[in-house]
Amino acid sequence: MNRAAAEAVLIRAGALLASMALFGAFVALAGADPFDVFYQMYRGSFGTSFSVQNTLLRAAPLMLTALCTAIPARLGLMVIGGEGAMVIGGLASITCGLACGAMPPWFVTVAMAVAGIAAGGAWVGFSGALRAYRGVNETISTLLFNYIAIALLSYFVEGPMRDPTSLNKPSTRAIPAEDMLQSIPGLEVHWGLVFGLVACVIAHVLMMRSVFGFGAAIAGGNLRAGMLCGLPVRRMMIIAAVLGGGAAGLAGMAEVAAVHGRANASLVTGYGYTGILVSFMAQHEPLAIIPVALLFGGIGASNGLLQRVDHLPDATVAVLQGILFVVILASETLYGRFAIFRPREERVVRSAVRGPTPEAI
Amino acid sequence: MSAAISTNGAPRDADSVPRVPIVPVKGPPRAPPQLAAEGIAKSFGSLVVLEDVSLTLPPGTFHALLGENGAGKSTLVKCIMGYQPADAGRILIDGAPVKIESTRAAQAHGIGMVYQHFTLVPNMTVAENLVMARADVPLVIDWNKEREGLRAFMAGMPFQIDPSRVVRSLAAGERQKLEILKQLYLGNRILILDEPTSVLTPSEADEVLGMLRAMAHAREISILMITHKFREVTSFADEVTVLRRGRVAGQGLVKDLTTADMASMMVGGEVPRASSSRAELELGDVRLSLHDIRAVDDRGIGVLDGISLQVKAGEIVGIAGVSGNGQDELLEVIAGQRELAGGEMRVNGVRYTATREETRTAKMRCLPEEPLRNACVSNMSVSENIGFRGYDRPPFTLWGWLVRRDALRRHAAECVSAFKIKTPSVDTAMARLSGGNVQRSVLARELQGEPRVLVVANPCFGLDFAAVAFIRTRLLEARNSGVAVLLISADLDEIFALSDRILVISGGRMVYETPIASAEVATIGKHMAGHG
Amino acid sequence: MMSAIDPVADVTGIGVWGVPLAVASGAVRIGTPFLFVSLGECLTEKSGRVNLGLEGTLVMGAMSAYAISYYSGSAWLGVLVAGLVGSVLGALHGWLCSLPRVNDVAIGIALISLGTGLAFFLGKPFIQPSATKLPAIDLGFWSSSPEVRSALQINALFVVGLLLAPAIAFLLARTRWGLVLRTVGESSDAARSMGYRVNTVRAIATTCGGFLAGVAGSFLSLFYPGSWNERLSSGQGLMAVALVIFAQWNPVRCLWAALLFGASSALGPALQSVGVSSGYQLFNAVPYVLTLGIMIATSSASRRLPGQPAELTVAR
Repeated sequence: MNRAAAEAVLIRAGALLASMALFGAFVALAGADPFDVFYQMYRGSFGTSFSVQNTLLRAAPLMLTALCTAIPARLGLMVIGGEGAMVIGGLASITCGLACGAMPPWFVTVAMAVAGIAAGGAWVGFSGALRAYRGVNETISTLLFNYIAIALLSYFVEGPMRDPTSLNKPSTRAIPAEDMLQSIPGLEVHWGLVFGLVACVIAHVLMMRSVFGFGAAIAGGNLRAGMLCGLPVRRMMIIAAVLGGGAAGLAGMAEVAAVHGRANASLVTGYGYTGILVSFMAQHEPLAIIPVALLFGGIGASNGLLQRVDHLPDATVAVLQGILFVVILASETLYGRFAIFRPREERVVRSAVRGPTPEAI
Repeated sequence: MSAAISTNGAPRDADSVPRVPIVPVKGPPRAPPQLAAEGIAKSFGSLVVLEDVSLTLPPGTFHALLGENGAGKSTLVKCIMGYQPADAGRILIDGAPVKIESTRAAQAHGIGMVYQHFTLVPNMTVAENLVMARADVPLVIDWNKEREGLRAFMAGMPFQIDPSRVVRSLAAGERQKLEILKQLYLGNRILILDEPTSVLTPSEADEVLGMLRAMAHAREISILMITHKFREVTSFADEVTVLRRGRVAGQGLVKDLTTADMASMMVGGEVPRASSSRAELELGDVRLSLHDIRAVDDRGIGVLDGISLQVKAGEIVGIAGVSGNGQDELLEVIAGQRELAGGEMRVNGVRYTATREETRTAKMRCLPEEPLRNACVSNMSVSENIGFRGYDRPPFTLWGWLVRRDALRRHAAECVSAFKIKTPSVDTAMARLSGGNVQRSVLARELQGEPRVLVVANPCFGLDFAAVAFIRTRLLEARNSGVAVLLISADLDEIFALSDRILVISGGRMVYETPIASAEVATIGKHMAGHG
Repeated sequence: MMSAIDPVADVTGIGVWGVPLAVASGAVRIGTPFLFVSLGECLTEKSGRVNLGLEGTLVMGAMSAYAISYYSGSAWLGVLVAGLVGSVLGALHGWLCSLPRVNDVAIGIALISLGTGLAFFLGKPFIQPSATKLPAIDLGFWSSSPEVRSALQINALFVVGLLLAPAIAFLLARTRWGLVLRTVGESSDAARSMGYRVNTVRAIATTCGGFLAGVAGSFLSLFYPGSWNERLSSGQGLMAVALVIFAQWNPVRCLWAALLFGASSALGPALQSVGVSSGYQLFNAVPYVLTLGIMIATSSASRRLPGQPAELTVAR
C-alpha cells in the first residue's frame, strides 16, 4: 500500500474512532452504558449469521446509492439525489414488472432492472443536464427532486396504481412471487448484493482506469483545464449523473423486486441519504465504497437491538451517522499534516515549496 | 470597456495640476517620518528568504526595490507591513524601534501598501471601499456626511475618481489610482507599492509615477516601490536597493548606476538571454484565423467586440494591451473555455470550435497564463498533467479504452529531462511544483507532437530570468520551425522581444497593427490607451 | 375515494372562496418559517459561505422550542432557546469551515444529517405531550365567519420577520458590521488586507444565520403546524437556499419570496380542504417544482447571478 492510501485509511479510521468516542459519550449522557451499546452494535451487525445477513441486505442498496454520489463527484458534481432516484427507479420497475405479466421470470427481472436503471438515470441525469446547460446548482436540484419523487410515489401509489385491496398502507399490486428477485444460493441474501458489488467494480474500472474516468478526473479537478483539453465537459457531466442515478435506480428495483414485491411508502428508506455519507467516507472511490457500505449496513442492522436491549430511540443510528458525517468531513483537514505519509524525497522539497507561498497575498 | 484607461479624459501632466497639500484624515500635514529596516532576516523552514537586509527611506524620497522573482522583495515588505514577523532585525520610525505586528499597526505608523493584486471590492462603490479601509468606521454610517468628506478629500488630490461609482466599472488604471488614493485617504505618508504599473499603459505609468514623485519631492510622502522595470527605476526613483537571493546585492543613488549594473546585481553575473534568434523565414499559409469574434463576460457584458486577425505559419503575432481589455476572454474563446457570442474561428482553413477532435487534428495548442489555475489539475500528478493531450490515444491506451499509466509516466519522464522540470518524481502532485516548473510542464505538454498553432498568454509572468530565457527560446524555436504563434502579453518588452507583427487590443477591439520593423513604443502606448 | 379527504384548515364553510383565503393565510403561516430561514441564509451567504445545514438547524430548533415550551410553559422561552440551539449548530458549521480543506457545502449536508438525527433522538419524548403554543394576533375580529377568523390569525413572529427584513437590509447597507460582512463575502483578499479576520466574520454570520433558522423551527412546532413530529420539516431549510438566489441576496426581496413560497405550499392542503380528492399529492410538490422552476429561470451556465456575493460558490 502506498503512503497516500495509508494516510487516507488511517485518517478515516481515526475519524471513525473519534466518532465512536463522541457517540459513546452521547449515549452515556442519554443514560445508556456505552460499552453495552458498542457490544450490541457488534452483535447486531456482525455477531451472528442472522445479523451478518441483515448487514449484507442493508449494505447492498447502500453501495448503489453511494455510487449515485460518488460517480458524479469525480466530475465535481455534488449529487444528493440518491433517495429520489431510488424511489423513481422502484416505481418504474414495478410498473414494468406488472406490465410484463406472463413473461418468464428472468425476463421480468431483466426488464425491471433496465426500467429501474433507466428511470433513475434519467431522473438524476436531468439534474446533470440542468447543471451543464443552465448552471442550476445540482446539490439543490437533486434534493428538490427527492421531494418531488416522493410526491410522485404517493400520487401513483394512492391514486392510479393503487391496489384496491391495500387498505391500511396504500400500495400498488404485487408482482407474482416467482418473478421476485431470488436469494443468492446458500445465503439468505438476495441478488441485490451482487448488483451492488458488480456495480462498484464496474464503476471502479470506469472512473479510475478508463479513458472516460481520466477525462472526468481532469474536468472534475479543474473545469477550465478540461475545456482547454477540448473535453465535452457538459456531456460528461450528464453521463456521470445518468450513471449515478442508474445505480440508485437499480437499488430501487432491488428493493421492489426482492423485498416488497410492490411499491409503497416503504420505498422511502433513507438509504439514499446514508449513501451520501458512504460515498464521502469512501472519498468517492468506488472500490472503497464496498467496505464502507458494509460498515454502515452493520450500523443500520444493529438499530433493532439498540432499541430492544438498550431502550434507545430508533433515531440512535441517525445520531451516530450524523456524528460520523461531520467528523469525517472535518478530518479532511488532517491531510498532509503528517510528514510520515509524504514520499521520502518530497519531504525536503515540500518545506522548500512552502517558502515562497507567502509571496502570494 | 472602451473608456478603458484614463480617469478624467486625457492623462494630465503632473506639473500642471495645482498642487494642494494633502490633508490626511487624521493629524496635521507634516513631512513623512523616516522609515528604516535593519538587519531583517526571514526563513521558511530550511529555506532562507531574507538575510541581513537593511534599507533607509528618508522623508520625501522615492526608493526602488529591485530583484528577480523569489529574491525576497515581497517578503521584505511583508515584514515591514507586519504581515509576517521577521526572524531577526528591527524596524525604526524616525530612529525609534517599533513593533509592527499587523497591517493596522503599520497604518498607525503611517505606512500603507498598494498591492499588485487589487485589494478593492469590485461589487462595492468607491466610497464604500474607501470608508471600509478606515480603522475608525462608525457603527452606523452617515453616507451623506461621508460623501461630503470624500468630495473634500478628492478635491485636494492630483487625480479624482467619482465616489459613487462601483469599482467593477473602473478600468485597471483607475483602480490602481484608487488604491493609491485609498492609502492617501487613510493618511499614510509612507507608501509601499508592489509593481504598481503592471496594469497601466506606458503613458499612464509615467503619469502616476510622475505624480507620486512630485508628491515625494514636495515632502508629502515617501515611496518604496517594488519593480523589475529598469526604466521606471532610472526615470523616477532617487535611490535603489537590489536584492538577490535574500541579500542586498547593491544599494545606492540611481544616478550613480547604469541599467547594466543593476541587471548584473540582480542575477549576480551574466544575464541569461533567449538563446535562439529569429530566423528569416518565408511566411507560410494562414494557420489561425479569427473572424469578427464576439464574447461576453461572466456578467453578460460584451468584452470582445468583433476581433478579426490571422496568424501565418512561422510568425509570432503579439497582442499588446493593458490587461483587462479582453485579452483573457480572447484566450478563453480560442482555448474553448468561453462560448462565442458571435463570429468564427478557423484553423488551417477549417472551422474550429475547440473540441478535442479538432484540437488534435488541427494540432492547436494553448498556454494560458497562471497555468496551475487554467491548464492543470493541481492534485493530479505531473505525469498525468503532462498526459492531458494524449491520454486517450495509443500508445497511452490499452484496448482503446483503458489508460496506461506506465506509458504516461515514461513519457512524462522524457519531458522532465527535456524541459528541465524540477520535480521529485513524475508522481508528485502538480500543486507541489514551483511556478516556473509548472510553466515548463505545461509547455512540455503543449509542445509535444509538433503543434502547428500555439496560443500563448503572458508566458513569463512571475518567472525568474533563467525561466524566462528558457521559455522565450522555446517559443522562438517553435516559430522558426514553422509554428504559427499568437502571443498575448501585458508586457510590452516581451511583445517587442518576440513578435514579428504587433496588434494592439483596446476595449475588446483590435485598434492598431504594425510589423515589428516599424513598431514604436509611444505609438503603441497611445493605442493601448484607446487614443488612436 | 372520497374518504381520503383530510381537511387541514377547515374553510369549507365559505365555499370556493376558501381556496384563495386559505392560500393567502397559508402564505403568511407557511411563509414565516421560510422568511426566517431565508434571512438567516441570506446573512450567511452575504459573508461568502453557504450553509445547507439550515435544514437540520430548523428541525433541531423545532424540537428544542417544543421541549422548552413544554417544560417551562413559556413559548417565547422556547423560541429563544431554539435560536440559541440554532446558533450553536451555525457556529459549528462556521468553525469547521474555517479549517483548511473543509468544504462548506459538504459540511452543510453533514449537519442536516446530524441536526435531524439529534432532534429525532432527543425529541422522542415530546411527540405525544402538548406544549404551550405561541399566541396569535387576531386580525379577523371584524368578521363573524369563524373560517375567516381562523384564517386571519397572524403570529407575532411574522410581524417580527416583517420588521427584520428591512432591518437586515439597513444593517448591510449602512452599518460597519454590514460593510465588513459584505467585504468578506465579496473579496476575502481585500478583507484580509484591511485587517479583518475572514473566517471569524464568516463564523459569526453563520452563527447569526443559525439563530434565525432555529427561530424558524420554533415557529413550525409552536404555531403552525403547531406540534412536534418527525415529519415537521419538509425541506424548507434547503429551499431557503434557492429562495435567497431568487431574492438576489436582498433581505427585503426575501420577504416577498417567502410569501410566494408559503402560498405555493398552501395550495395542496387548500385544494384538499375544498374536496379535491385526487392528485392533491401532486400539488404538495408544487413548492419544490416552483423552486426548481425559479432556479432554472434565474441560473445561467455562463454568467454569474445578479447580486451574488463574489466569494460564494454554491450558486455558480
